[in-house]
Amino acid sequence: MIQVYAKVLNQTEIIKNHFILKIFSPEIVKEAIPGQFIMLSAWKQGDPFLRRPFTFNRIFHKEGSFELLYKKVGKGTEIMSYLKPNDQVSLLGPLGNGIKFTQNMKRIAIVSRGIGVAPMLAIVDSAKEKGIEVYAYLSATTENLLLRKEEIKDQAKLIYITTDDASLGVSGKVTDFLEKTLKDTKIDAVYTCGSKRLKNHIESLKETYDFKAWVILEEHMACGIGACKACICRAKKANNHQDRYLLVCKDGPVFPVDEVEV
Amino acid sequence: MKKVNLSVNLGSLKLKNPVIPASGLFDLDGHTQLPYNPKILGAVMTKSIFLKRRLGNPLPRICESAAGLINALGTPGEGVEYLIKNKLPVFQKANKTVIVSIGGNGTKEFKLLAERLDKVEGIAALELDLSCPNNEANIIIAKDEFLTEQTVAKVKEVFTKPIIVKLSPNVTDITKIAKAAQRGGADILSLINTLSAMAIDIKTKKPVLGNKIGGLSGPAIKPIALKMVWDVAHTINLPIIGIGGISNSEDAIEFLLAGASAVEVGTAAIINPLVMVEIIQGIEQYLVQQGYSSIEEIIGLAFK
Repeated sequence: MIQVYAKVLNQTEIIKNHFILKIFSPEIVKEAIPGQFIMLSAWKQGDPFLRRPFTFNRIFHKEGSFELLYKKVGKGTEIMSYLKPNDQVSLLGPLGNGIKFTQNMKRIAIVSRGIGVAPMLAIVDSAKEKGIEVYAYLSATTENLLLRKEEIKDQAKLIYITTDDASLGVSGKVTDFLEKTLKDTKIDAVYTCGSKRLKNHIESLKETYDFKAWVILEEHMACGIGACKACICRAKKANNHQDRYLLVCKDGPVFPVDEVEV
Repeated sequence: MKKVNLSVNLGSLKLKNPVIPASGLFDLDGHTQLPYNPKILGAVMTKSIFLKRRLGNPLPRICESAAGLINALGTPGEGVEYLIKNKLPVFQKANKTVIVSIGGNGTKEFKLLAERLDKVEGIAALELDLSCPNNEANIIIAKDEFLTEQTVAKVKEVFTKPIIVKLSPNVTDITKIAKAAQRGGADILSLINTLSAMAIDIKTKKPVLGNKIGGLSGPAIKPIALKMVWDVAHTINLPIIGIGGISNSEDAIEFLLAGASAVEVGTAAIINPLVMVEIIQGIEQYLVQQGYSSIEEIIGLAFK
C-alpha cells in the first residue's frame, strides 16, 4: 500500500451523474487486484475533509492505469466530476482484500444491482485472463442504469438482465436466473455487490447448490486502513458466538456471504 | 543538514522525538499496513482499552464537518487480556516506546487495569482516557476535579511507571482539572480530547451519528487546543503533550512554543498516513533554520 499523486487520463459521464474516471498510477496498479479499493482525494483545502473510497472498476495492468465507476452523490463526487485530463489526485492504495481465484475454478458468476456493478468488470477481466468462464446477472431499476453492460456482455459466456420497469429483460429477481443456471451448470464461485436482497438470496441458494460465494461491501470510511474502526459491518453469529463487528476496509471489502449480515 | 537533537524528556519518559500517534486513530496488528515504519515515531499508542471486550457504537460512527471529523466509535476493543496477549507484542515490535491508553467506566476499572498492566513488561507509560465522551453511562471523570484526583491517585497506587492524564476540553476551566490530576499524582498531562459535538441530517431530521452525539477532532479544534495547552502550561509545572487538530509541522511547533513537550497526532493521519513522518522532518528543519540545536530550547518559548 502506498500514498501517491496520480494523473487523470480522462473522464466520461456515461449517463447522467454516473462517471468513469481513468487514472494513471503504475505504482498502485502493480499491486492491485479486483475487489480492492483506493482512497482518493481530489481536494486540497480540507473540504470535504476525508478521502473517499472507490473500488477498482477496471484495472489495466499493461497500461499502468485503472478506472473508477462512481455516481455523483455529494460534495466529494461532485468535485471529482469536474476532473479533467492531467489533473492530479491523491491516492492511497491498493487497500483491502481482493478477489483471489483458486486453481480449480472453471466457472464463476457475478451478480450485481445498480452501481454495485462497480467492482464486477475488474473481476470479469481477471477471470477471462485466467480462462475462467463468467456468467453475468445484472439488475437495475431501469435499462440505462445497467452500467458497463456492454463490456461485461462482450466477455461473459451468458448474461441475464432484469430491470424493475422491464425496460430491458424482465422484471424480477435476477438471482432466480442464477438458480436456473445452477440446476444444470456447475458454478464454482459467485460474487455479488449492490443489493442486500440479492446477497441474501445467494446465501440461501448456497445451501442447496454447492458453490462459494462472496459479497463486496461498501461503507463510509475515514482511514481505509483499519485504524479508525468506523466502517463496521456485523459478523454473522456462528455457534451462539458473541456479537462482533468486522471492518469493511480491512477484513473486507470482500466477505464470504455467510460471514456477514447486511 | 546539521544534526539537531529531537529527543524530549517528559519527566522520566524519554522520547527520541516528540511525535506520538493519538489514541483512537492508530492501530497495529499483524496485518496492518502503514506506508512508513512506525519505528521512527517518538512512541506508539494503543487505542483505549477497557477491562472487558466492548462492541462499540452502531453505525454511522463518523461524520465529516468543516475542517473536522465527528466520531462516536464507543471505544470498541477486545479487552485488556487480549491486548496484552495479541496487541502489545506487535506494538513492542513496532517501536520501543509503547504507551497504553486505558479507559474505564469508573475509578475502580482504571485501578484494575493499571494494576494488571503494571505486571506487564515493555510498557513505557499509561495514558488515562478520563475524558472519552462516548461511554454508556456518560460518566466523564475528566469533567470533575474530585473524580479526576481520586482516579489518578488510585492508579498511582498500583502503577509504577509514568502516568499521563488526558484532559477533556468540555469543562469550564481546564486548569482546575489539570491541578486535580497533579494532586492525584499525574506525571504528564495530555490535552485535549475531542470537543463534544453532533450533526443532524436535515433530510431524515435525525442525528447523523448512531450514538447521536460524538466528539469533534481535526483542524477545527486546533486553536482551542492550543489555548488550553497555553493555559495549563502557565499554571502547572508538569510536562504536557499537546493534542488537537495538529496537521503539519507548523501546527506541532505552535504547540511546542505554547509549552507542550510532545504532540499527539490523530485525525490528520487518517487523511495523510505519512503526516507524522512529515511533522518529524518539519520540526527538524525548523530547528536547523532557526539555529537551535535541540527541541527543548523552544518548548514554552511563546510565554518565556
